[in-house]
Amino acid sequence: MGEVILTMKGIDKSFPGVHALDHVDLEVRKGEVHALMGENGAGKSTLMKVLTGIYKKDSGTITYEGKEVEFHNTREAQDAGVVIVHQELNMLGHLTVAQNIFIGREFKKGIRIDDKKMNEEARKLFDRMHIDIDPKETMSKLTVGKQQMCEIAKAISHEAKVIIFDEPSAALTEAEIEELFKIIRDLRDQGLGIVYISHRMDEIKVITDRVTVMRDGAYVGTLITKDCTKDDIINMMVGRVIYEDPKTKNMTPKGSPVVLKVDHLNAGKMVQDVSFELHKGEVLGFSGLMGAGRTETMRALFGADPIESGDIYINGKKVTIKSPQDAVKHGIGYLSEDRKRFGIVVQKSVAENTTMADLDEFSNGPFINKKKEKKVAEKFVESLATKTPSVDQLVVNLSGGNQQKVVIAKWLTRNCDILIFDEPTRGIDVGAKNEIYKLMNRLAAEGKAIIMVSSEMTEILRMSDRIVVMCEGKKTGELDISEATQENIMNMATREIN
Amino acid sequence: MESIKQNPLVKKVGFNRIVLCIVLLLMYALFCILTGGDFFGMRRILSALNYAYFLGFLSLAVTFVIATGGIDFSIGPVMFCCALMSGFCFTMYGMPMPAALVISLIIGLAFGIFNGYLVAYWDVPSFITSMASMNIAKGLASVFTKTQSVSWPQSSQDGGWFRKLVTIGDIPMGLIILIVIAVVCAIVLNQTKMGRYILSLGSNKEAVRLSGVNVKKWEMSAYIVCGLLVGIAAIFFVGAYSTVQPGYGDQYNNEAIAGCVMGGTSMAGGLASISGTIIGVFIISLLQEGIMALGLDKNLQLIITGIIVIVAVFADVVARRRKN
Amino acid sequence: MANKSVSKTAGTKKSFVDRMGGQQFIVLIIVIVMFIFFSAMSPGFRKYTTVVSILDYSYYIALMAIGVTFPLLTGGVDLSIGTGLICYSLIGGLLVRQHGMPVAVGMIVTILIGVIFGIINGCLVALMDLPPFLATLCTCMITRGFGAFVVGGYGIPWPAAGQDGGWFRSIFKIQVGGQNIPIGFLWILLLVAIMSFVLNHTKMGRYTRAIGSNKEATRLSGVNVKFYHIMAYVICGLFAGLAAIAYSAIFATVQPGSGAGFEMDAIGGAIVGGVSMSGAVGNVTGTLIGVFVICLLKTGLPFIGLTANWQQIITGFVLIVAVLIDIFKRKKESGK
Repeated sequence: MGEVILTMKGIDKSFPGVHALDHVDLEVRKGEVHALMGENGAGKSTLMKVLTGIYKKDSGTITYEGKEVEFHNTREAQDAGVVIVHQELNMLGHLTVAQNIFIGREFKKGIRIDDKKMNEEARKLFDRMHIDIDPKETMSKLTVGKQQMCEIAKAISHEAKVIIFDEPSAALTEAEIEELFKIIRDLRDQGLGIVYISHRMDEIKVITDRVTVMRDGAYVGTLITKDCTKDDIINMMVGRVIYEDPKTKNMTPKGSPVVLKVDHLNAGKMVQDVSFELHKGEVLGFSGLMGAGRTETMRALFGADPIESGDIYINGKKVTIKSPQDAVKHGIGYLSEDRKRFGIVVQKSVAENTTMADLDEFSNGPFINKKKEKKVAEKFVESLATKTPSVDQLVVNLSGGNQQKVVIAKWLTRNCDILIFDEPTRGIDVGAKNEIYKLMNRLAAEGKAIIMVSSEMTEILRMSDRIVVMCEGKKTGELDISEATQENIMNMATREIN
Repeated sequence: MESIKQNPLVKKVGFNRIVLCIVLLLMYALFCILTGGDFFGMRRILSALNYAYFLGFLSLAVTFVIATGGIDFSIGPVMFCCALMSGFCFTMYGMPMPAALVISLIIGLAFGIFNGYLVAYWDVPSFITSMASMNIAKGLASVFTKTQSVSWPQSSQDGGWFRKLVTIGDIPMGLIILIVIAVVCAIVLNQTKMGRYILSLGSNKEAVRLSGVNVKKWEMSAYIVCGLLVGIAAIFFVGAYSTVQPGYGDQYNNEAIAGCVMGGTSMAGGLASISGTIIGVFIISLLQEGIMALGLDKNLQLIITGIIVIVAVFADVVARRRKN
Repeated sequence: MANKSVSKTAGTKKSFVDRMGGQQFIVLIIVIVMFIFFSAMSPGFRKYTTVVSILDYSYYIALMAIGVTFPLLTGGVDLSIGTGLICYSLIGGLLVRQHGMPVAVGMIVTILIGVIFGIINGCLVALMDLPPFLATLCTCMITRGFGAFVVGGYGIPWPAAGQDGGWFRSIFKIQVGGQNIPIGFLWILLLVAIMSFVLNHTKMGRYTRAIGSNKEATRLSGVNVKFYHIMAYVICGLFAGLAAIAYSAIFATVQPGSGAGFEMDAIGGAIVGGVSMSGAVGNVTGTLIGVFVICLLKTGLPFIGLTANWQQIITGFVLIVAVLIDIFKRKKESGK
């Protein structure tokens, strides 16, 4: 480890209603791989966005190569040598590898773009990284892993001194990860400062020199990786806070029937051989890291994406689900993690959204019975305590929590017995979270069967009767709440599967 | 300005529609002055209404498609195709008039089904579909009529009774029918399942699909309604202007779309106003009549409607940008 | 070792057709098959004069198609080229006929007006964010009205071959010993070569494709996206201007109010030639080959007893089939 190249001190950043970063510190030295860890929503990405100029910080200082700096956009940061390799790739699929790497700063020969030189330079970059990618290959034809390598090559070509990897391994295979690590070590040995954001405990131990842990937007501490254990880091990540009334035992009534059985479900790379059962009156938590395939499993189950193989049984009867229509017909309701895109029609009113899934029930022939619609919408506004001036209000004007309640009302109107909550409290403030939790418990007590996908450990432990853990598209464990701890869930979620 | 917008009465009627009505009246007054009073009489108004009938149906038709977030600019040529082919059936094959009228509706419907199926079930972009069906409509009509124009019977002639749909003496029957059908359209769009789904999927198709709704079916239904209304438009076109020539009709696309977007229907889908569309159509018709009355080049009409659409759509783009 | 794995990545087995240029190659074969078919069906078709007339037809369509390839590659479209062509030609012709300007000036003005409308289209799309098909549908109507308005509704004949200034007709066709030599085809080939170079080897072309591939990522890479987006439409306007010259040179008179539907032939040709409606994929040579499918339909069908109107219907279906193939290909790719 060399001298300090980048220091972030007392970084503070608020968004309306959220204190996203609370005086966070980070120090990166030349020739080190510095892990930045924390649960989803701990503020890691926000911190990096502040660094690279995507967000403007409220207070605090950034010192880079001995000088205080403030980048206004990614371009400025790039030119100074601070480059981020995004989790979602920013690529031009139709262009070649070399064309992607040098987009916006092509080599020229007269008016002609010197593709030959660009290919040579790209080749040199790949040689430096000791990998083989044909610079002339079309980007979209590469595997995700190779595309990631190209992003890294692009970062290096910017004469980067600090490279930030934002969950680089999320979509990579075992072999690709190894290749990635080799490159990262090389870069480190060349004296670059590396920030490595990841959830995977095993990787952290393998690749990083130091670890900075964040929790709820605040700085927790920095450790030297080789001097600490996995458990130390997990403890720092989840803290020692005691959660309000977490479930300690399974609240599902004894002998309650299985309403949903999923048998060896396969749907693409993210859903491999997933099987589980769901009982009446139960809250089944789905835990796992980002990209573990939980949402994909739910979408396949709901018919939103095609199923390759596997059987679904509802109340003991085998059913075919080919489209959301089929799923809804069989009494499944899906509350997406991305409400604005998949949950509600924001330009329509509360009442219109409430009856969206069950309009037949509110129609006399082709005509909509607006009185009945309004009455039911009002009933749900009241029973769910949705804050809206009237049911005629457009949903776009409601807060996140209230929008979520509108989606819940939609499925309750349809009288669905199986409700899939995908990240039910994402983007919802603390007070409203509690309400949503209460509501879910009430629904379960009324005999609904609930699947809850959540990336928040506290939420999983607080709400679930049983927990299914997924990792890389496979189910890696199933726990009763009485035996679940944060540590053993985290263990399953990061388990290597071979 | 803001306080006017907040006035409950204004809110109920719609600020946009009030402005459009004022524009309509001002235009009328302006034409009256410019033509030295020539405009001040039933003759000009009836003539403008003749134009408003078929354009009104076209505009209503395209309103349904735009509500889903799509576009159809085959409506003009398809209208001509309907008028030509059914007229040819009457004049050349001696079909009875009612049959000819029904054929017009059926052809419109067929194009609606064709467009709707390609867009909804095969994911072909709507403007490509309409480009293709525009060509097909023109070609089909030309082939069928052997590139001859078709004249529908005058009121005194055999089968001329169909003109009573447009006017009976001085009573503008067409206006009554247009208003009735516009009301039906408004009811369909605002009071029925179909309208609810059309508007909702225009706003967020994926969310509607994930609510377990058969979005393909409903998206296609909008195109079918569109086709049917185009078939009706054809009848009113020949009712007012008698003669149709193959190979034309596309100039009416823009005027129909202009009426629709001026009336407050958003090109992004999900937002449509039938009453706005009708007022928009009256403005375009009045403009057309005014240009004729003033003896100006009729090509000005093309230029002006082109500019109107650009301005109206840009206003919609700006409004949406501000919301985000 | 390095070489070994390079050959592995590059060695994803390409089919024979792919190596020959994919869709382009197939379409070229279709062109040849069509030609053979029409020749076999009709003795009138296999004549030198027919070939010349096919080429005559092809010039203005090919020029429009080369131009419209650029907006298509950005993921947009330009529907104004057909009526635009007539408008530019009318105004240029008017200057020559009524105001006694030299033909060269008339030609330059024709091209210039094309460029101006290209700039207008570009601004409407890139700066004002209007949907391309709608913006250009409006300029389609505007150019149609404008052209007819300026000339007052009468057709404009550009100077005939023997007349003063008639030399410009020999840009596309010269007579040697009583035989017409279609030298316009050489110009088309030259322009295709130039625009292929622009598309594949200059920033202009590179960014045109990049915008069609992922506009936001291109912007984030520091590219002046708005400028290059506008330029795609300017190129399209320029070529519509060139097409106007070709049209004036081949046909005796230019009629106001015509031109609607020409854009269909051009866009249809480009799509048949492998240009994707969703942008980024396609090239100018493919477009040219696609144009010949359309031209053969246009000229060939009357020889087998179908009127030219059938060509319109068939072009409509050809367009849909070409787009469906494009959609199907993309679905297959994203599914993988």
